[in-house]
Amino acid sequence: MTSMTRAIQLGRKEKPKRGSLLLLIPGIASVVLLGILPLFIVARNSFAVADNYGGITDGLTLDNYAKLLDPVYSKTLLYSLGLGLLNTAVCLVIGYITSYYIVSRPAGKQGFLLLLVIIPFWTDFLVRTFAWITILGSGGPIAGVLGIFGIAGFSLIPSNVAVVLGLLYSFLPTAIFPIYASMRSIDGSLKEAATDLGCGWWGVQRRVILPLTRPGLLGAALLTFIPTMGVFVIPVLLGGGKDPLVGNLIVTLYTEFRNQPMGAAASMLLLILMLISMVLVGLLLQRSATKGSSSRTKRSSTEKGA
Amino acid sequence: MTVDRVVNGIARGVFVFLYIPIAAVIVYSFNAAGTNTRFEGLTLQWYVELFQDAALMQTLQTSAIVAVITATVATAIGIMFALGLARYRGRGRASLLALIALPLIVPEIVLGVAMLSVFSATKIPLGILTLVLGHLIVSLPLATLVLMSSAAMLDPSLPEAATDLGCTPWQTFTRVYFPLLRPAVVAAWLLSFTTSFSNIVMSTFLSGVGSTTLPLKIYSSLKTGLTPSINALGALLILLTLVIVLLVGVSQMRRILVESRS
Amino acid sequence: MKKITTAAAVGIVAALALTSCSAGGSGDGTSTELNVYAWADEIPQTVFDAFTEETGIKVNVDNFDSNETMISKLAAGNSGYDIVEPSQYAVQQLVGQELIEPLDKSKIEGIENLAPKFADPSYDPGLEYSVPWVWGTTGILYNSACTGGEEITSWDSLFDEKWKGKVNMLDNMLAAYIAGLQVNGYDADSTDEAEIEAATESLIEQKSILAGYNSTNYGELVASGDVCISEAWGGTSTAKIVEQNPDVHYVLPEEGGSLWVDGLSIAKGAPHQDAAYEFINFLLRPEIAAMATNDGGLASANAAAAEHVSDQGLLSNAAVYASDEQVENADFIVDPGAAMKFYQDGWTRVKAS
Repeated sequence: MTSMTRAIQLGRKEKPKRGSLLLLIPGIASVVLLGILPLFIVARNSFAVADNYGGITDGLTLDNYAKLLDPVYSKTLLYSLGLGLLNTAVCLVIGYITSYYIVSRPAGKQGFLLLLVIIPFWTDFLVRTFAWITILGSGGPIAGVLGIFGIAGFSLIPSNVAVVLGLLYSFLPTAIFPIYASMRSIDGSLKEAATDLGCGWWGVQRRVILPLTRPGLLGAALLTFIPTMGVFVIPVLLGGGKDPLVGNLIVTLYTEFRNQPMGAAASMLLLILMLISMVLVGLLLQRSATKGSSSRTKRSSTEKGA
Repeated sequence: MTVDRVVNGIARGVFVFLYIPIAAVIVYSFNAAGTNTRFEGLTLQWYVELFQDAALMQTLQTSAIVAVITATVATAIGIMFALGLARYRGRGRASLLALIALPLIVPEIVLGVAMLSVFSATKIPLGILTLVLGHLIVSLPLATLVLMSSAAMLDPSLPEAATDLGCTPWQTFTRVYFPLLRPAVVAAWLLSFTTSFSNIVMSTFLSGVGSTTLPLKIYSSLKTGLTPSINALGALLILLTLVIVLLVGVSQMRRILVESRS
Repeated sequence: MKKITTAAAVGIVAALALTSCSAGGSGDGTSTELNVYAWADEIPQTVFDAFTEETGIKVNVDNFDSNETMISKLAAGNSGYDIVEPSQYAVQQLVGQELIEPLDKSKIEGIENLAPKFADPSYDPGLEYSVPWVWGTTGILYNSACTGGEEITSWDSLFDEKWKGKVNMLDNMLAAYIAGLQVNGYDADSTDEAEIEAATESLIEQKSILAGYNSTNYGELVASGDVCISEAWGGTSTAKIVEQNPDVHYVLPEEGGSLWVDGLSIAKGAPHQDAAYEFINFLLRPEIAAMATNDGGLASANAAAAEHVSDQGLLSNAAVYASDEQVENADFIVDPGAAMKFYQDGWTRVKAS
């Protein structure tokens, strides 16, 4: 049974406690003051008019949104969504496998392995990205080795392959951490029990670990997919910047086009789109959870009857 | 179990993958050519230049201070929120979840510019404080989501059991919750630290006079070209971290040994 | 846990103390500090050191990565900066938004040292708001090993099918339109809708032969041969790459040239105005201005500085100092004003196609 199901079931019995409400306050306050309050300004600006010098005048207009409906922008959006989904899928698979490996190590070693995952990211992002450019470019070691075998002219810079690789590299820890955290909490005896009952490797994954890791996987999916939308350095440095992402679009609007109102409108649209997809994911999760729990309840009642 | 072997193989491959660019950074930090495009023998010149670059060292210090404060505050708030939400049984759980994740959906440049307007309207001077607040809002969702997936797994009867055993709420936290959550707490802190330490966009808009962070310094020097001493700095940071990890690892081992003996 | 909380609290208090102290000094003519917001390395560290040594004024330097970042910081108000270093078109925007102070010419000494081209520029007539510091060109960087020895002299090559997949353009709207407009025979600072439209068409067509848009490490891409020809800004990094690699050349296209200038302005409400004027005067001295070339590898806008340049060869190195004749014909890329709309619509279509 997943935690969500448990929570939902318990929700019918218990009332909220005041103590737990107090615990929520600092988090809510931070997000409201530092996140939502500034967003009101963004929302207001999205209806404003840009002046010629990059400032904002007080006007009120829907033009900024209307302009964004131009089909030139839909290509950028679709490309970003596609790349985001691809990156999320790759990160989840690799993140799951890596977390599974870490959890299977002795407890004392797990912290060390986790650190090994994060340490590379204490080198500056640009330094790492430039290292990838060196490695994948025509002057790098791969090209050198291929050159020995007579294959000349190897270079993955710039290419879409390099972008996918760069995105995977950047978001892998963000994917590994939540998956690891929820996998770590699974009772080891469950896995043994499943194996004893004749489940193979895939069976154990499907029936025990995957369902119990679902909150972590969902967290990981959100943490990879959404930020991918806002990425703007990787596509330029590794991909040649020919196919801009939504992140590039917004940065361009805010800086080069010095059109804050339109940048704000683009951000609001992206925000709404992301909120809708989050709600959809939430609904799907809730439905599968209730379905799972009701079928289980049914089964247990039949068992009782028998 | 051949599948297990394949999985382990892939996972080890992931660790290699993570360190490929790091290896390149270290190797090229000794490169005499002064550019990453070719290799021309070894030199220590870039390390010498690095230590003479007082401005760069200053930015490193700023980044470290901001990242430690951000990670600690984000983790503390995250623990409270995750525990609170795990015990919260009322309506609106999903909305609370969406609320805490909200800053993730907003592109950082939008949030950065918007926060800049808020700080200028409230006359809060730009500096370490505004950097911490900006980094806090982008790392808080990460920390909280990591902690939540773990907190959700805790048995809901734990607090009652602890209270029955005579624990005060604070003791319940330190003796029951914290040990159970520790892996997630460590993960959340590290993730927030890293998020803050490597942030460019929020820092761009929220740094003030004299509070340039390391990534900002590096990003702004792109126009004139990255110097190889940046590679040297990257290599040094990795080495420093490994040394700290080993030291902490050793001391922790010792503590475990001592505790088990007593 | 308690320890951690205490440590965090101490940290926050320390941080608050740091931020509130950094505003130090006063504006009554006895400033001991100066806050400078500039492009990285365009004002060499040696210049700041010399200034501090002579005046005792401590200089805090922060860098920005783009004019737009700098403008948005200033637009937010109370930034705390005294001196900013905008590019030519950014001066126009800063003036338009009233973010920089008009200069009090009676407090400035040595402005006559500037080269004639910069004494009364189109973007800031009479130098009311800015004092030019360094300048450069926009041209073509190419690798002759990669082009098979062929010399590149014209923007045409950047639009030539022959180099498909081996051409890079600067990832910057105004820079891309220099090539797009000049290749069609128009002025680089055109404000004519039809001309801009023609340039847009050329740039869209060009996209199929491009390796990419990159204004960051294009020099290294050319040096390594990942691309053969790139639009490029002259200056430190370009000069360095040309110097290190004999196959790499920087040329100004025969269609004409364009200039960029980064100068010094005083931010609105600067807390240390007297120190700011002192700093500007210091930078106008020929021997100090020459340090931009000697230590920064950039061309100085100060004509009197030429004799203080230690490597006189740089004065005829096109990657640093374009020739007088080229400078004479070259125009500043200025803010397109109302025509900005045409550029933006066009560039959006170029990027999205």
